[in-house]
Amino acid sequence: MLTVAVTGLRELSRRRVALLCVLVLPLVFYLVRIDVHWQAIRFLALGLGWAIATLALFSHVGARRLDQRLAVVGASPTALFFGRQLALVATGVPVAGMYFILVAATQDVPRLPAVGLLLTTTVLIAAPLGAVVSLVVPRELEGALALLSVMALQLLVDPDDTAARILPLWSTRELSAYAIEAVGSDHLQRGLVHFGLVLAMCVLTGWSASTVRLAPVKLPAPPVEADRTSAS
Amino acid sequence: MRRQWLHGFLDLCLLSLLAEHRDYGVGLAERLSAAGFGEVPGGTLYPSLLRLEQQGLVLTTREPSASGPPRKYYELTAHGRATQAERAQAWGHFRAAVDAVTLSAQGVVVEGPS
Amino acid sequence: MTSAHVWGAQVRDVLVASGVEPREARRLTDEFLAEAQTAGQDPAGLYGPAVSYASTIARTIRTTATRTSPLDPVRGRVVLRLSQVTKRYRRRLVLRGVDLTLRAGEVAAVVGANGSGKSTLLGICAGVVRATSGTVERTPRLGYAPQEHGVSPLLTAAEHFDLFGAVQGMSRRRSRSVGGQLSRQLGWAPRPGVIAGHLSGGTQQKLNVVLSQMNRPDLILLDEPYQGFDQDAYVDFWEQVFKWREAGAGVLVVTHLLHDVERVDHVLELPRAEES
Repeated sequence: MLTVAVTGLRELSRRRVALLCVLVLPLVFYLVRIDVHWQAIRFLALGLGWAIATLALFSHVGARRLDQRLAVVGASPTALFFGRQLALVATGVPVAGMYFILVAATQDVPRLPAVGLLLTTTVLIAAPLGAVVSLVVPRELEGALALLSVMALQLLVDPDDTAARILPLWSTRELSAYAIEAVGSDHLQRGLVHFGLVLAMCVLTGWSASTVRLAPVKLPAPPVEADRTSAS
Repeated sequence: MRRQWLHGFLDLCLLSLLAEHRDYGVGLAERLSAAGFGEVPGGTLYPSLLRLEQQGLVLTTREPSASGPPRKYYELTAHGRATQAERAQAWGHFRAAVDAVTLSAQGVVVEGPS
Repeated sequence: MTSAHVWGAQVRDVLVASGVEPREARRLTDEFLAEAQTAGQDPAGLYGPAVSYASTIARTIRTTATRTSPLDPVRGRVVLRLSQVTKRYRRRLVLRGVDLTLRAGEVAAVVGANGSGKSTLLGICAGVVRATSGTVERTPRLGYAPQEHGVSPLLTAAEHFDLFGAVQGMSRRRSRSVGGQLSRQLGWAPRPGVIAGHLSGGTQQKLNVVLSQMNRPDLILLDEPYQGFDQDAYVDFWEQVFKWREAGAGVLVVTHLLHDVERVDHVLELPRAEES
């Protein structure tokens, strides 16, 4: 599994344009709203989540045939799935770290550690989310559009609306509220619970769907024949 | 077509020439030409010699020459000598068979291969 | 004299790129140059163009490198058996009642026009596609080289070796060593740092074939592996197939070109798929 992760990292590092987008897009989102700081942080986090999820989508879709081939010769679908996820998270967390530093340097936020928390939870959800979308919508373009719609909804829907809770990154919104505004820790709790649930769901769905897709058909070995005297 | 035939038999010809006496690359080319094969290109000759060497049928030695750089001489090993005899015999049978068929087509009666 | 050195340098480069050890390549090149000097000729005049001469030499070395066994390979146990395999996609009957028994030490070629279901059959043998009906029995130790996308364009050859070797539990060093060795047998020395997407089509296919061999499988499934191969590579590939046969593997090759039908043990011809 570690090898898959390492090779996955190498592969990601060669997708220069995609990495550039991952780095720059959240920054753009952030700067656009920098004057309204509670929105700025939320936009930053959602932008980061979207970028990582899209990277995950492309990574899983692009690797589908290779993963299938590896599975045929005996690789475990679990190792393939989690190895790739690990590579994605390992790419996303340092970026989140960078943005955390940026926010710390440019904003005055009452509960700064919570910002770090919410950036991390966003990355952790985005990676399997991208994988799930790739399994449901197996083409890059359609998958990217699907993710775009989810993100757009995430940005537009009023977070207090009950319908908002079905969106995957609702926890990000809650945690950002906790970080920025002087609200009680029930926001923190709700946010973390939602995060935990969504993460578990995405990971389980992604993992089981990937296993179903990749696991080769179980074929019995031909029966060993009785002793043959010589070549015919 | 002649070039394809040559490819098939070049190894045997080289082994046979070397069975007479050891020689170096240019010398072998000259003898082939004199025998009636015409100009055998180096791009064909030297790979064949390399193959014979790799198969252990010939071994090579370098000898200083009076005029110019040291020459690489080829000579048969025992295995090479045995192989040459074998292949020459196989060629004899094959040639007799081809003759029997082609000459009879030309109306000449020939004894079949023994 | 410089043109001779240029010729020699070209020959050496092609030899190394074809998998010859660099020291051996240098030794051979020096000998060729010396011989040309003896003959009093320019090397290009004596041997011909550097690139084609060097490929001929490389091929000679490769094909005489292993001793050919004079005996018929012993027909071993069955590694693949298909009985009345059928595959239907909605209304299209792609495969109808296919039977095949392949033993270790045999080569089977599956031929047919495009659209006759060859790739589907291979997918069924690999376990990627489920047959609609019929039985498939197959040894678990398997190598598989699909026609398209078998290779990741963003990874280097060495990284591919890492991945496929890791599946077998090989360490990185061993994976790369095995991969390099198998590549040399196909006349190719992978260059570090070159990603698969930058390799020529024929070389990508060589990588594809090498990857299918990394776990020393009993059964090797190859799908049209030589699209983009030139004549030399085509010949090398079939030499490699027969070497695998001698080594005791069963090989199934899907193709629409078949040069030497006699040397292959089974030929399975697939008729065009029908609408039902």
